[in-house]
Amino acid sequence: MVARPKRLIAVLAAMAVLWAAPRAATQQRSTSVTRIVSLVPALTEMLFAIGAGPQVVAVSSYDEFPPEVKSLPRVGALLDPDMERILALRPDLVISYGSQTDVQAQLARAKIRVFSYRHAGLTGVFTTLTELGAAVGRPAESERLAREIRSGLDGLQARVRGRPKPRTLLVFERDPASLRGIYVSGGLGFLHEMLGIAGGVNVFADVARESVQPSIETILARAPEVILEVRAVGLLGPSDVAQAKRVWGTVSSVPAVQHGRIAILSGDHLVVPGPRVVQGTEAFARALHPDAFK
Amino acid sequence: MSHSLAAAKTPAAGDAGTRAMPSPIRTRLLKSIVGFGLLAIVTCLVAPLIGSSPISLARVFDRSVPFSQNVDAQIFFVARMPRVVAGALVGAALATAGVVFQALLRNALATPFTLGVSAGASLGAMLAIVVGATVSAGPLSAVPLASLAGAGLAAAIVYRLATMQDRAMSTTVLLLAGVTLNSFFSALIIFVQYIADFAQLYRAMRWIMGDLDVGSFDPIVAALPMILIAFALFAWLPSSLNLLSVGADAASARGVDVGRTQRLAFVSASLATAAGVSLAGPIGFIGIVVPHLVRLIVGVDHRVVLPASALFGASFLVVCDLAARTLLAPLEIPVGVVTAMLGGPFFLWLLVRKG
Amino acid sequence: MLLASELSYGYASAGHPARSFMLDSVSLSVERGSLTGLLGPNGCGKTTLLKLLSGVLQPQRGVVSLNGASLAGRSRRDIARHLAVVPQETHPAFDYTVMEMVLMGRHPHLGPFELEGPSDLALAHDALSATGTEHLATRAYMTLSGGEKQRVVIASALTQSPDVLLLDEPTASLDLGYQLEMATLLRRLNLERGVTMVLATHDLNLAASLCDRLVLMRNGRVVAQGPTREVLTAATIRRIYDVDADVSFHAPAGHITVTPLRRVQ
Repeated sequence: MVARPKRLIAVLAAMAVLWAAPRAATQQRSTSVTRIVSLVPALTEMLFAIGAGPQVVAVSSYDEFPPEVKSLPRVGALLDPDMERILALRPDLVISYGSQTDVQAQLARAKIRVFSYRHAGLTGVFTTLTELGAAVGRPAESERLAREIRSGLDGLQARVRGRPKPRTLLVFERDPASLRGIYVSGGLGFLHEMLGIAGGVNVFADVARESVQPSIETILARAPEVILEVRAVGLLGPSDVAQAKRVWGTVSSVPAVQHGRIAILSGDHLVVPGPRVVQGTEAFARALHPDAFK
Repeated sequence: MSHSLAAAKTPAAGDAGTRAMPSPIRTRLLKSIVGFGLLAIVTCLVAPLIGSSPISLARVFDRSVPFSQNVDAQIFFVARMPRVVAGALVGAALATAGVVFQALLRNALATPFTLGVSAGASLGAMLAIVVGATVSAGPLSAVPLASLAGAGLAAAIVYRLATMQDRAMSTTVLLLAGVTLNSFFSALIIFVQYIADFAQLYRAMRWIMGDLDVGSFDPIVAALPMILIAFALFAWLPSSLNLLSVGADAASARGVDVGRTQRLAFVSASLATAAGVSLAGPIGFIGIVVPHLVRLIVGVDHRVVLPASALFGASFLVVCDLAARTLLAPLEIPVGVVTAMLGGPFFLWLLVRKG
Repeated sequence: MLLASELSYGYASAGHPARSFMLDSVSLSVERGSLTGLLGPNGCGKTTLLKLLSGVLQPQRGVVSLNGASLAGRSRRDIARHLAVVPQETHPAFDYTVMEMVLMGRHPHLGPFELEGPSDLALAHDALSATGTEHLATRAYMTLSGGEKQRVVIASALTQSPDVLLLDEPTASLDLGYQLEMATLLRRLNLERGVTMVLATHDLNLAASLCDRLVLMRNGRVVAQGPTREVLTAATIRRIYDVDADVSFHAPAGHITVTPLRRVQ
């Protein structure tokens, strides 16, 4: 080996390039992205918001916004991505969840670029926006959108500043007819952060988890002043609100129930950590501080 | 009654003094019921006093504060009491169902879930959750109603298969039908979970883990008639189960209507299981740990084991639920996990003991 | 006292009538205090006959009657008060004690929610002492030897206070020593306590030593029945078993013995 240094250097150099090349590929600023498949609804929204909508050729089963996605083909979601369909669409960029390692491995073998998404709270929205903008060659647009979201959130925060922050129970799931199977937001995650910006205090802020299943006793003991129910889908009618009031009526000593401060919010803008977080946070803020919006 | 044997000989009572006589059934039954009954009463009285939040008993019973403003009273009467009552009922139901299924299948390792009744209940609940059903019948809301329907369907299929040949059940056919149905329904459950969306999946998983936090007496009232009927039917079984467990022909020759006893056992145990599962989800291990523990203490005579298991089953589940809701407060351990964590090592210990 | 007349039985299930009969026109009578043996090769129907006599099976044709009253239409419990069965093997699914096993024999005499009382316990103790198993009362049944288990099962049958005891192959699963013990026990129960017995067996010498009457069967029919001495001959043995045998009185044993010699076709 020592006798042939030139060859050795050539081999090492080749190895270095081969090793570096795939990494460079994923972070490469590319203007050549023309066909995007997105498995993550939040990032689909981001793509459309930064003007990359026309490049999106397929979305996940759960995509609802913007309306343009309704006519796009569906390729599954987190648990059931349809690899055949994805590959058949000949994408040059696929947006997948960070936990979908087998999907990413298959795509890597097919030499298709992958954007790996890891959900990380409200700040994650901004980080993801920046990275996504770079990946599809629209850094300026994504920068502008980030600024808009930032100022929207700051504006909301200013609006409710100085008002007493009600202790809030943020419910995102429960059995429709009873108080069983309640899931609330703990002290982590973008729902919790949205609540903070909207001027509320999470009664389960001390639990370092994104979701908590509290018992009825715990809810009674923590005595929230406002109950915010967040539902991803469904149009709400007066019977829904009436039923919710009736169901919560069994824990009548909870201040939120006593004073009728039970709000049900519906719509996927509330649960998608994407460009519409401002709308979602505003919905929270209106429910918590209605007088700030007169 | 003049029989050749009794007429020919006087009872040899005089020889009895030399050795310890096994205590007669009456005293054993009385002692067991009093003993386990006291345990059940004490457990059910103490359990509502303990919980993740400290409360003052004086304030709980303070009539001057309106109930709708009395947090302590609501914690006691809305959160804890229904939970303890549900725990006692479900524990008693599943424990006795376990005893009866073990006798019916002539196997001490049988559980209330062996024959697929619980899988049927779970499938019904899953479907109700995924479909988003809102139909209800009186105090029974959609999910418990659907789980009862599923349980009934599973039991009916197994029953039909097992009685096809003649009206007496073959334990082999019973077991095969039950195990097959179990696998089939479990596969369907997995499929339903697969097609569910996130929200439905959360609810489905929550249900399967078992949950006694009923929050009101309505679900209990809904399940109560079935449990009471099951217990009334159970009352006719113990002595026939003793004889049946020695052998079907032998039991028949001693006056037991084998077919009727088997059908009664199957129907009553399935009813108790269905009621328990529809109320609190499939909580495992009670139907096998409690009967075994009880047999270790009182022997194997079903006339003692059955009532003792009902009482001990109630205490056992109430205590497990107490642990579930206090150990990691404010987080709750699903009660099915607590029963499994107690049950698993118990069985390992049993195996080691026998081996 | 126990009478079977023109019994015919074939295995039938719901919707499928019996295609052929396992037992065809079998008649026999059992006198009080007698020890009757049902003898024949495997498949001759002796176990089925025993089940018909005990009322566990119902015949398609014919009648079984006890003390003049037919068994048909009587409840299982009622029949069990008069007829007790000792099966060939007993394998309880749970770990009962000997006393619990024996007391189960009182079931037909107790009401639906009645528990055993002192008189039932006394009968049980009596049965245990009659079978020489009193010292085993608190032992677990499953820990006993084969012979001890059979004796406990007999005690359990005796506790039923039956008019007739029906035994299915009582010595089939026992070692030689226990076989002798069993024969002695059964003889003693019959002689000293006057227990009427019918036993199905394929053991010719057991039948010869124990039974005062024999019913010889082949292919579901009775070939010969009557006092042992008259019925157990080389001729009938050839008819039933297709075997040439020497049948003679064996002085040391004190009874007729059968020694098979060769097969005939």
